[in-house]
Amino acid sequence: MQKVGKKRILLGKMGLDAHDNGIVIVAKWLLDAGFEVVYAGLYNSPESLVQTAIQEGVDAIGCSFLGGEHTFYTRRLIDLMNENHIGRMKLILGGVIPPEDIEELKRLGVAHIFTPGTLRDTIVEAVNDLFNKPE
Amino acid sequence: MKEKETTRIQSSYLEGERVPNFKTLSGMDYKEVYTPEDVRGARELPGDYPFTRGIHKTMYRGRLWTRRQQSGFRSAKESNERMKYLLSVGQTGINMDPDLPTHLALDPDNPLAHGDVGLQGSSLVLLEDMVDLYRDIPLDQVSNTMIVEAPTSAVIIAQYLLLARKRGTPWETLIGTIMNCPLTQFVGPTYQSITTFFSVEYAVKIALDVMEYMVQRAPKWNVVNINAYNIRETGVNAIQEGAFALAIAQDYVQRLIQRGLEVDVFAPRIGFFSAVHIDFLEEIAKLRAMRRIWARIMKEKFGARNERSMWFRTACQTSALPLTAQEPLNNIVRAGIQTLAAVFGGVQSIHTTGYDEAFSLPTEESHKLSIRTQQIIAYETGVVKSVDPLGGSYLVERLTDELEEQIWELIKVIEGRGGFLQCFLDRWVENQITQMRYQVGENFVSGQHPMVGVNLFRDERDSTKINIFRHSGEWQRQRIEEIIDYKKNRHQEPVQRALEALESKVRRRPEENCIEPIMKAVEDGATLGEIMDAIRRAIDFKRPGL
Repeated sequence: MQKVGKKRILLGKMGLDAHDNGIVIVAKWLLDAGFEVVYAGLYNSPESLVQTAIQEGVDAIGCSFLGGEHTFYTRRLIDLMNENHIGRMKLILGGVIPPEDIEELKRLGVAHIFTPGTLRDTIVEAVNDLFNKPE
Repeated sequence: MKEKETTRIQSSYLEGERVPNFKTLSGMDYKEVYTPEDVRGARELPGDYPFTRGIHKTMYRGRLWTRRQQSGFRSAKESNERMKYLLSVGQTGINMDPDLPTHLALDPDNPLAHGDVGLQGSSLVLLEDMVDLYRDIPLDQVSNTMIVEAPTSAVIIAQYLLLARKRGTPWETLIGTIMNCPLTQFVGPTYQSITTFFSVEYAVKIALDVMEYMVQRAPKWNVVNINAYNIRETGVNAIQEGAFALAIAQDYVQRLIQRGLEVDVFAPRIGFFSAVHIDFLEEIAKLRAMRRIWARIMKEKFGARNERSMWFRTACQTSALPLTAQEPLNNIVRAGIQTLAAVFGGVQSIHTTGYDEAFSLPTEESHKLSIRTQQIIAYETGVVKSVDPLGGSYLVERLTDELEEQIWELIKVIEGRGGFLQCFLDRWVENQITQMRYQVGENFVSGQHPMVGVNLFRDERDSTKINIFRHSGEWQRQRIEEIIDYKKNRHQEPVQRALEALESKVRRRPEENCIEPIMKAVEDGATLGEIMDAIRRAIDFKRPGL
């Protein structure tokens, strides 16, 4: 696996769901794999997340969901990313997301969706590839 | 299957196939064999102090545990339909979950709430919602658990009491539980989750108001239920689950005594909600140890004399952490085994987690299967026909002693740091949880915590399809409109008056019980969010968006 210079990834949850086991563990995995993680924690709005992404100059945004709110928030986030000219920034999602919604979210432009049980190496490899592989 | 994996399995056959370690999920050693030497001293009978073998003499021979599946989504009306369906297939108690905005005391029309309305539970804002939610359900005959924490619990209980009054059901006859615990109910004691939308210290004060108000008026009602399940689901182990839950309960008992209440009046109305994880024997031992410790705390520390004050009464849910999105049918087996552990552990009610847990809320089909799982154990296997069937097992008795010891040790650490609330405020709890999460991640990667079909025997070809519950974005928009219209068209003056009275009362006398002014505001048409915003203003708490 080719190592890249420190890429910055913003991780956070949007909306009111506060289940954060997964995102906390993934944050640690990405740190251990050599990424810089900006951890925005819970209760972000799409607006605040986009603002943080711009301020921190991150290379990717990662959001985690559990309660069925993923489509609502991801649509808004992507719209705002486009409005703010950061539409080319990579977006990854994780958490409890039903298979039918995965197709739709990918069509909207989400690069990767890591559902429960995804192995660490799969995540790290996929995130590395985001920056290594030409589109 | 990767070639590497095939080779590994073949060579493990030659070497002797073995599990990766001989430890409990909490890291305690399983001995190769247990003998009579492992069992200390004489053992009491079920129903005898300190109730290791069960709080009742006859346990499930006298009465089976309550089948209590959580439910709740979208409107109160739809949730009522699901509840009635569950009762029709043999559920024996209700377990109602509101949506996230309700938990956090935000109205659906609040922009912060828009994306979460009606998703993880039912949207409850007004007294009218409570009327719809419990339509056709007799409040004095079906025991009803309301999964809601302080401060929202104060509004929900006010709505419920008003509903009972409307129907002519005397408050003394109400049976059920309000979870009410502000430290655990939302998602366990993680710091940011429960300090962002309300003051956690004032939430504890409101929780005590609810307890005080209810013990004096509804003696069959359970006034608080410490959610050990949610503690566990943050990733901590069985020892931490036990110690945190009991330390929290001690905090409440101390504060209720400080309010001048008699321990034997309120303690019988305190309950717990335990996790039952996948380590079968450890979970059984944990439940037995919890009964023993709670009994001793209540008798020796708080001087309880009524045996009921010493009963560790616990509902439980089979843990969702071992359930997987890969090969979801495997979850039926896991939840079945966990349910059996709960039964051997002697719990009072069970929620068997659905096999579709890693995808969405349970479908009707999955909900029914959970009930059937419990019914099969109850009616077909025979394990209920004798009390505490594993009592006297060298291993189970030894593990019970060891867990008791370790849970006590950790309780002492928490006491030494000023009690649970203090440990929470100092972020000591947060650090414990984070460390355990990292360890959970490590154990998953290393395979020390094996999950079949996930980090072991993974089969990328698997394409099992199951039915999955679907949410409706359209309904969210309707509900938000409905609440906006309601606020526009109601009789405004009494609402404003009641909210002002509540705010000024809390500002002037923040220590006094606030249930009655809340009830007045509910009666006059105020919404949950408006009532809690009035209290937030009174205690100078700034929530996001204000």
